[in-house]
Amino acid sequence: MVNANSPVSASASINKYKVKSIAIAILPLAALAFLFGLFCIVVTANDYNLELYLTNVINRGTVLVLVATGAIFIYTLGSFDISLGASTLLCATVGVLTYNSTQNVFLTVLVMFAIGVGCSLLSSLLASVFRIPVFVTTVAMMSVLSAIASQLIISNGSGNGLSLPKTVFGPLDSPWIKIAVIAVWVLLCAFLFDFTKIGRREKFLGANPFCAKLTGISMYKYAIIAFVMAGLGVVLGAIFTLSYSPTVNTGTASSIGMDILVAIVFGGMPISGGPRSKIYASLIGGFSYVLLNLTLNIVLRMAGVDSQGSQGITQIISAMVFLAVVYVASMNYRAKNLPR
Amino acid sequence: MEQLITKQRAKEIAKKSVGTLAIPLVFAVVTLIACAAGGRTMISGISGFSNFLIYAGIVTITTFALSINLGSGRFDFSLGSMAVLSTLISIKITSSMPVSSGTAIVNLLLCFAVGAILGAVSGTLYVLLKIPPIITSLGVTLIFEGITYSIASGKYINGGEAMAIYNFMNNNWWFALIVIAVTLALMIFVFDHTKFGRDYAALKEGQKVSVNTGIKEIPNAIVCYVICGAMMGIVGFLSVARSGGLDGRSLSFGSIGIMFNAFLPMFIGGFIGRFSNDKLGYLLAGLCMSMLNSTFAAYINEVSASTQSIINAVLLVVFLIYLSNEQTCKDLVTGKLFKKWHDAIKMRSAQRKTREEAE
Repeated sequence: MVNANSPVSASASINKYKVKSIAIAILPLAALAFLFGLFCIVVTANDYNLELYLTNVINRGTVLVLVATGAIFIYTLGSFDISLGASTLLCATVGVLTYNSTQNVFLTVLVMFAIGVGCSLLSSLLASVFRIPVFVTTVAMMSVLSAIASQLIISNGSGNGLSLPKTVFGPLDSPWIKIAVIAVWVLLCAFLFDFTKIGRREKFLGANPFCAKLTGISMYKYAIIAFVMAGLGVVLGAIFTLSYSPTVNTGTASSIGMDILVAIVFGGMPISGGPRSKIYASLIGGFSYVLLNLTLNIVLRMAGVDSQGSQGITQIISAMVFLAVVYVASMNYRAKNLPR
Repeated sequence: MEQLITKQRAKEIAKKSVGTLAIPLVFAVVTLIACAAGGRTMISGISGFSNFLIYAGIVTITTFALSINLGSGRFDFSLGSMAVLSTLISIKITSSMPVSSGTAIVNLLLCFAVGAILGAVSGTLYVLLKIPPIITSLGVTLIFEGITYSIASGKYINGGEAMAIYNFMNNNWWFALIVIAVTLALMIFVFDHTKFGRDYAALKEGQKVSVNTGIKEIPNAIVCYVICGAMMGIVGFLSVARSGGLDGRSLSFGSIGIMFNAFLPMFIGGFIGRFSNDKLGYLLAGLCMSMLNSTFAAYINEVSASTQSIINAVLLVVFLIYLSNEQTCKDLVTGKLFKKWHDAIKMRSAQRKTREEAE
């Protein structure tokens, strides 16, 4: 009989913990692979055009992944920003207005960068200099940015919104270009996040801001860097929103802010940030979420549910899967008290 | 001695009264001046007053619901979806009943009950899954929105029961007043005068210590969610009373906007609560928001919805800047801040001089 306190028992329990940790770490990737396989099976079983459907997955996932990857820098700090959808909308709106009045693509992109990064910097300024809770700052920013964008769209556009000639960003509307841009952006962010002191210090700040401050790490500096990275993601998201759909209306990118939360949690990153943050969570989570929704949609239509009914049911099932995935992924980190 | 105590007490009461009423009075004066300047009326007629009360009720009760869980560090995105779903279920249940003035009252009670059940579902999921409440609320929001969309077939529901509620509430302004008064009394009783309320306050201030002293956190959390759900049921009812319809088209977090209106009143109410009671503070803040909303309505052709959103958000930011830097703001007004800066600069130059001399 092995004593519970014996070294053999301790090593067995460490091994068990390690196996569990590894299993939980690869779970999001395994889930993505499973969903991808299921999606391909469902599409081909229905004699649908797989290439067309995969293009749809890329189209839907690109903006979410680009914005979410930048946003991970903010989430790592233990903060979060729900105004990113509104920033994307404003960035795209100002981009369309700039191009329509100047016909200059370079200037349009420049203005979009200024708006995207400027909005993020304003949020970080309010949060760090005036010490307003980040979440409330982003709620206020969300209202202000979407209201400004709506005002611009209503006063300058027609009933359908503001339109940009398809030739401006249209050439970017190719799956391979989108995959290439996602790859470059994710690799750049991964480099900053995993191989430079920016990522290490952000994780430290997310895990224990008090201790990080005592070691001389400036919360302000890293908050600004995080918001700038999120701003860059917003600009890329806005450009690819316009490449796919050159007409901007008040509903454009409206759910991105919240979808980011779902995507990064789906990708296996804790919402509290800190050392367990992963840059690839946005990539895995974003595409998993899109694949899950599309697969459910097709399956429900196969089952005879009409397209309106399938939208509601798809959302219910994907929410249940989301909760189940988070439940399994957080099994190793259960506290005695209720989490807050 | 007795005279001194009475004097001190009177001073304290005066201070509390001024602190409690200052912000609502400022709001009232500013909005009345704004209306008078343009030759408009803030509240015109009984229907205007009824609308004023209904909006105040929506904001106040949403603020109650938001503050319950947010105050305990539990962020709940599902408030809006609970309001819409509870009202939709209630309307569907009563749709077979003949439409009369009693329909509105039955609907209110049903909204309250269904909201409480939805809150219980949300709270039970949170305590069973033991995952952060913000994540649970994301899932719950999506589920409730999906159910709403499926029941309403993705349509805007109006006419029938919704119109009956609208007509009843707009013809009987006193009913909104009763709803607000009863909700306020209920909130004060439950959170300030019961064991549950005391446990809630203890858990809010120190979760670990409270649990270690024997307070049962799980039932307390579930009851908090139940109360939130019931409150949001009332909010859903009042929203139908205001617009005469219910939006069943919200998907992908389209319902979360309902709770964002409650952030500014929550902070204003919290500030007023320092001088009296936080729940009373939320009510006064709700009235302030309703005054602002009525002023916007008076200028409906000049002030667009986007401008209103910007004004509300700017007010929120300015108020939060004040709250987060209260001492600095006070020092700025009294001139102490400049003295502090002057002293700091003087001290630094003295230190530099000493260092240079030492070198």
